[in-house]
Order: sequence, then structure tokens, then C-alpha cells
Amino acid sequence: MKKTQKEESKKMKILIVDDNEQITKMLTTFLELKGHQCTIANDGNEGLSQIKENIYDVILLDLAMPEFDGYSVIKNLEDSNTLKDHKIIVFTASTITQDELENLVKRGVTAYLLKPIDIDLLHSKLVEIADL
Amino acid sequence: MLSIKYTLFSVSGVSSFIIFYMGVVNFLTSADESTGMILLIFSIFVAIGTLLATVHISKIITEPIEKLAKSMSEFSKTNKRAKGYEIKTNVSEIFQLNEDFTSMEEKVEKTITVQNEYVEKLKDMDRKKIEFSSMVSHELKTPLVPILGYIQMLQKENFLGDLNDKQIDAVNEIYISTLKLQRLIGDILTTQKLDLGKLDFNKENTNVSDLLLSILKEFKPIALEKNIILEMDYDENIHILTDKDRINQVFSNLIKNAIDFVSAKTGIVTIGAKDQDDHVEFFVSDNGQGISADKQSEIFKKFYQIDTSTSRKRSGSGLGLAICKGIVEGLGGKIRVESEENVKTTFFFNIPKN
Repeated sequence: MKKTQKEESKKMKILIVDDNEQITKMLTTFLELKGHQCTIANDGNEGLSQIKENIYDVILLDLAMPEFDGYSVIKNLEDSNTLKDHKIIVFTASTITQDELENLVKRGVTAYLLKPIDIDLLHSKLVEIADL
Repeated sequence: MLSIKYTLFSVSGVSSFIIFYMGVVNFLTSADESTGMILLIFSIFVAIGTLLATVHISKIITEPIEKLAKSMSEFSKTNKRAKGYEIKTNVSEIFQLNEDFTSMEEKVEKTITVQNEYVEKLKDMDRKKIEFSSMVSHELKTPLVPILGYIQMLQKENFLGDLNDKQIDAVNEIYISTLKLQRLIGDILTTQKLDLGKLDFNKENTNVSDLLLSILKEFKPIALEKNIILEMDYDENIHILTDKDRINQVFSNLIKNAIDFVSAKTGIVTIGAKDQDDHVEFFVSDNGQGISADKQSEIFKKFYQIDTSTSRKRSGSGLGLAICKGIVEGLGGKIRVESEENVKTTFFFNIPKN
């Protein structure tokens, strides 16, 4: 794998799926200042229809949401055999174990980030994905 | 052990024999043959009568007592009245004994049922308590996401516009406090995971001296800032199969405590590891104020604070040592403390090599 020193990632279309408006607003502020284009979905259902209707370079997905959560989104994409077509970064507030997170990666999720989200770490993950 | 049945039978057996013997003696010595004969027949009837009476007494007394004894021994094993030991008796003493035993059994059964209900209630409350605090700490963690995100953005030069020096200081102070809050919430979550047995360990082959060096590097700046000595003392070439991040977490908690308890300028904190056959003995020692003997057994309990005065200098959650104990025991080891007040305190924790 080629190592990159590049600071800025290319401009990406990003879908943010999280039920917490303060979090989506903060992420949008950060990502738009970094030059990306953001779309927000406030729950898993809305997120899933956005994923099916549009093409995104990256999907930021919160695992813990009421009713239709991140897992359900992943399961749904898996069932239609399209999980691996997307670059998904999941967020979690550590209520699940490291093993479970690694398992999600094995299933086809691109990366995971622990809450509170380190925005510099998020940025470097985006750079990595842009270079893939 | 003496049995009523055999005592009864032997007494009646002996007395029947004596009556029969007297009859025979009478018959042989009697002048009048017919009188002797009558006496002999009479003695035979009396002897048989005695034996029959014995059998009857045995039936109405010893059988129900035996049954009762078996029933009691069953009850003492199972705490439940076994079936098939119902007693029918006309003997008032035995009847009373059976009644009293039955009512005692009922009381014991009732008490046990009530106790079990309480135990279940307590277990349920404990589960609810853990679920509730897990929910609370999760809810506390969520607002930290935007707080820390915005702080990080403010700390980036020219990202959200330029800040003046006072604003930069303010942001840095907010950042430090937010990190403390994050740490506290993290400690509570770790404690809950330990309580639920859900803390996962990722064991890997670890070089002990590398591990100690990385910990030393992490704490050198804090030690320098407080002007104390932080040093190492370890055996070379120890390898251990364990979760090095968790060992690091134990060391971090112990070193932070040690640094808090030593005096600036004269303070010395030593961390190290000794090779001991199938396990490694890690330790953190300091020359601080020490822990009195009566407090040494208390310090590993959750939320315990050595200094509970409102003017106390330290501001921990009181969870650090409970977490250390939980992690060490989760890795199959043991933690203990040795302390002499105002001289030296050493925390030792043994971790199996495999």
C-alpha cells in the first residue's frame, strides 16, 4: 500500500446519518470547511433511502439510533448485496466491544470511530478513503 | 445408638422367656400335676401375649417415629416436605410431635420463599441500577461529541476565524475540563463493564521493558512539571502474553495516584517489573504520605476517597483502584498494597505470563 503525506483530501460527497442534530451540525461545519459536500439523514430509514437514491463517496453512520439503527442499515445493504459498494465509517459510543467492531469491518464496513469523535482522526480516515 | 424397636423387643423377649421359664419350673416342681399343667399353659399364653403386645406397641409407636425421622431428614436435605410420609396415629404424644413438626416445616418453607423473593428483587434492582447508569453515562457521552468537535475546530489556527490570546486560553481551559469529564464518564463505563463481566481483553505477546518504557515516556512530562523523580526498576527480557493496553491502564491509574501523593521536589515514584516463574510482578511505589493500615482494605472499593474533606487537593472519581483491581483480576492476577505512613507505599500486581 502506498503511503501518503497528503494533508488535504479530495472534495467528497458525504452522507451523515445520525439522530443527534448537534452532532450532525458540528460534523457538517467541519466537513464543509474542509471543502466536502454534506447531506444529512436524521434516522436509519432516511439514510437508507438516500443511500439507494444517490451516490456518496463516504457514509458516516451512527450505530445507536432509535428504531432503525446503524446495524439495520448495514444489514439491509448486506441483504441486497450492496454493502461493499459503499465506503461506510460507523460511530459508536463504546457500548459495543472491540470484537464486534472488528466483525463489522470483516463484514464490509470501511472503518469505525469511537465517540467522542476526534475530528482530526475523521479527517485522516477520509484522506485514506480518498486515496484507496 | 439405641433403637426403641430393638429395646422393646429384647425387653419383651426376655420377660416372655422368664415367664415361660417360671411356668416350666413350676410344672416340674409342682406336686399336683394338673395345677402344674394349668400354670404351664397359663405361662405360655402370657409369654405369647407379651410378644403380641410388643409387636402392637412397636407398630403404633416406633413406626410413626421412624417415618417422622425419615421425613425430617428428607426435609433437612431439600427444604421441602416430601410426599409419602403422612402419619396416622392415635398416640397423643406422637400426634403432637407430628403437628409441631408440620407447622415448623411450613414456617421454614414460607421463610425460604420470602427470602428467595427478596433475593430476586435485589438482583432485579441491581440489574436496573446498572442499566440505568449505563444509559446515563451514554447520554452524558453524546453531548461531548459536539463539544469536543467544536473545541478542536477552535484550536485549529484560522479554521473558524482567528482567536485572540485570551480566547485561546479560554478554549484551552474548556478543553482540559472537557477531557476530565470525558475521563470520568469513561471510568464509570469501564466500572459498569467490569460489573457486568463485559470488559474484553485482547491478549498479545508483550515485551515488558518496552511496555514500561512507553509508560515512562507518557508520564515523564507530568513528573517534570511537578518536579519529582519518575524512575524504572525491572528485570531484563520478560515476555508476557497479556492485554498491554489494560496493563497500561492499571499503571496509569497507579502512577497518577502516586504523583498526587508525593511532595514536589522530594517525591520519587518508581515503576517496575520482576520476573517470578510463571508470572510477572509489576509494581508502582512512591515515598508519599502513605495509607494507614485501616484504610488499606478499603481503597479498592468503588467510590472510596482517602481524603473525603471538601478541601481535599485531589479530585478523582474514586473509581481508579476499583478499575485496577477489576482489570488485574480479569487478567487472572492479584493486586495488593504495602504501605508505611509517611515513608513508602507500593502497589504490587501479579499477572500470569500465559
